[in-house]
Amino acid sequence: MPGNSSRKVYVIPCSGIGKMYGLLGREAALKTVKELRPDKAATMCLALLVYGDNEARKEIAGARCITVDGCPKLCAAKNVEHAGGRVVERVRAVDAFRNHRGVDAGTAAHLTAAGWQIAEELAADLAAKVDRWYDAGEEQ
Amino acid sequence: MAAKYVILPCNGLDKEAGCLARELALKMAAATGSEIICPVLYQTAPSRYASLLQEGSLVVIDGCATRCASRIAANNNLKIYRKITMAEEAKKRDYNPGPDWRVGAGAAAFVEDVWRSWQPVFMEAEAGRVPGENAGLFAGPLEYAIHRHDKFIFRVPLAGFYFNENDCWVQVEGNRGRVGISDYLQQNLSDITFVTPPDPGTEVEQFGEMGTIESAKAVYELVSPVTGRVVAVNEAILEAPELINENPYEKGWIAELELTNFEADREFLLDGQRYMEVLKEKVADFNAGK
Repeated sequence: MPGNSSRKVYVIPCSGIGKMYGLLGREAALKTVKELRPDKAATMCLALLVYGDNEARKEIAGARCITVDGCPKLCAAKNVEHAGGRVVERVRAVDAFRNHRGVDAGTAAHLTAAGWQIAEELAADLAAKVDRWYDAGEEQ
Repeated sequence: MAAKYVILPCNGLDKEAGCLARELALKMAAATGSEIICPVLYQTAPSRYASLLQEGSLVVIDGCATRCASRIAANNNLKIYRKITMAEEAKKRDYNPGPDWRVGAGAAAFVEDVWRSWQPVFMEAEAGRVPGENAGLFAGPLEYAIHRHDKFIFRVPLAGFYFNENDCWVQVEGNRGRVGISDYLQQNLSDITFVTPPDPGTEVEQFGEMGTIESAKAVYELVSPVTGRVVAVNEAILEAPELINENPYEKGWIAELELTNFEADREFLLDGQRYMEVLKEKVADFNAGK
């Protein structure tokens, strides 16, 4: 149905504070929505959902969301679901390291060049996921 | 060794103010050996941070005006030692956070400047400085005028205190002034939950902002009755803001200033007697629903 696919896909990372994987996921998510797919994707500050901001919850209600988590606690996936978002993909930053074993990606504060490279790869993957869900329309 | 400070920063995601809050948190953590709390994980699994929060003083760093970090702290009844809001820091410095999320050179310099201004506050506390070292200089009021209305009793010191119409007072000794809020205002605000005093070193102008007070009812912007430089803040009210409710003219003082223009400032202030008349009008207006 025309118009159904016009609602942006949300890419929501965990806060990315305190762990390198979180930082990497955060940077990848931001690159996706700010640079790679600004017309198809948007993001939302997870803390807004977590403390129960009504406007944020309304915005996310029923929307297709791709969550990006750093650690196994899956804060983003759980909180977005709890807030009423439709989590269509649960991405874990740690999985982006499958082809990069032993690489020093940086710290919770700063990524190394190798870390940025992995973040770029993850962002490309997220952009492809955004395309798929955006083009599929909201009923999918 | 346990961390002296525990930092609860804004999530720092999609607005530059948030990214700046995150950068400041990282900088402060590195400089002071503090621990950072992930605001989202804290909400999801608070027990993870329970011991940290018992050991260190909590510093909240908000990004934008939504103040998520503060709200998360309030929702969880966390006692806040210091609050820094990047949007306000930006306003003070005429810095305009934009839509960028990458911290460029300008933003990095801004964060550095904010940290430079806050660093002495944390370092003074580290050094165990006794706040209010001039405590003996300011004796409490000797005599109060009383105004009763229904079950309420409002007190106004009769001598040595000057007020502005914003219900803030200054007690003057030589070139020093101690400032606070009136009994009327503290009763209006009800239970005070948090105080953000002006930072030491801040130059304040008469009728300029000198911090905020928050209660369950409102956030109140303090209006300075005098011009001067902040030389001390009452650290006790940071830990126990209820002191302002209990004793607004003595234990609940907010900041101490080195006065630079008091003779001129005084022309625009009310002594205790005149302020009492203003107070009576305010009480009457309030009860008339004006």
